[in-house]
Amino acid sequence: MTLTETHVGLYAGLSQDPPADAGLVPELLPLCLTTGLGWRVPQPPLAVLAFMGFEWEVLLPVRVGDTIHSLARTAVKRSMREGGVIVEERQVINQRGEIVHRGRFTYLVAKRPPA
Amino acid sequence: MTDSRRYFDDIAVGETYESPGRTVTEADIVIFAGLSGDYNVLHTDAEFMKSSIFGERIAHGLLGLAIQSGLFTRAGIPYATLGLGTLRWKFKGPIKIGDTIRVRARVTAKEEASKPDRGVVTVERQVLNQRDEVVQEGETDLIVERRPAG
Repeated sequence: MTLTETHVGLYAGLSQDPPADAGLVPELLPLCLTTGLGWRVPQPPLAVLAFMGFEWEVLLPVRVGDTIHSLARTAVKRSMREGGVIVEERQVINQRGEIVHRGRFTYLVAKRPPA
Repeated sequence: MTDSRRYFDDIAVGETYESPGRTVTEADIVIFAGLSGDYNVLHTDAEFMKSSIFGERIAHGLLGLAIQSGLFTRAGIPYATLGLGTLRWKFKGPIKIGDTIRVRARVTAKEEASKPDRGVVTVERQVLNQRDEVVQEGETDLIVERRPAG
């Protein structure tokens, strides 16, 4: 996904954060977009009951005009009585193949209902 | 021009801040869904959510995060922030349409960085709703400029 001034403008309206330097993408915006990018993989999305938390690391700046994609890997799977916990490791990568952001997301995911 | 931003040197461990409130609206959720592409039923299907444990649509957790980021900036004199380093975050409860959230924050650590012009300030934050329930909480490591010499 190519990041545009429109993404930055819409995000600024939502966060009401003062704008950063011109051309720079706010650090939390790629994080917000990566959950949506996850919906566009050929696999069906996780049956998420709740997003429990995450850790996130900003490694490199992202600029308007950069094209990012996201890579995710299931790192941990733990079954609980109601649903289970999935920990996903996620990277945001730019058009030069540099990892710009990375982190771990923890989700509570539903169990398949008995047929 | 006077520079009113607060530098690494000006910030003390233990400082606390409380932001103004902001009411989260349906428009916020619709715009965030369009921007992020996250159209999970939790945020977009009012009928489905009637029968969920929440009883209605809830805001995306990351929308709450984005809103608190703007509220934090309004909670005091802004830092001379160069950027965000790392973030550890927990979602504790739902934010529903019409809820008014605010941020309570505390500086928990300061550390000089390897580059001499900056340092890292760790801020613990809680996002509270109008009933004083903590709906989100976490820690952010902010990279803040040192006061220029002279």
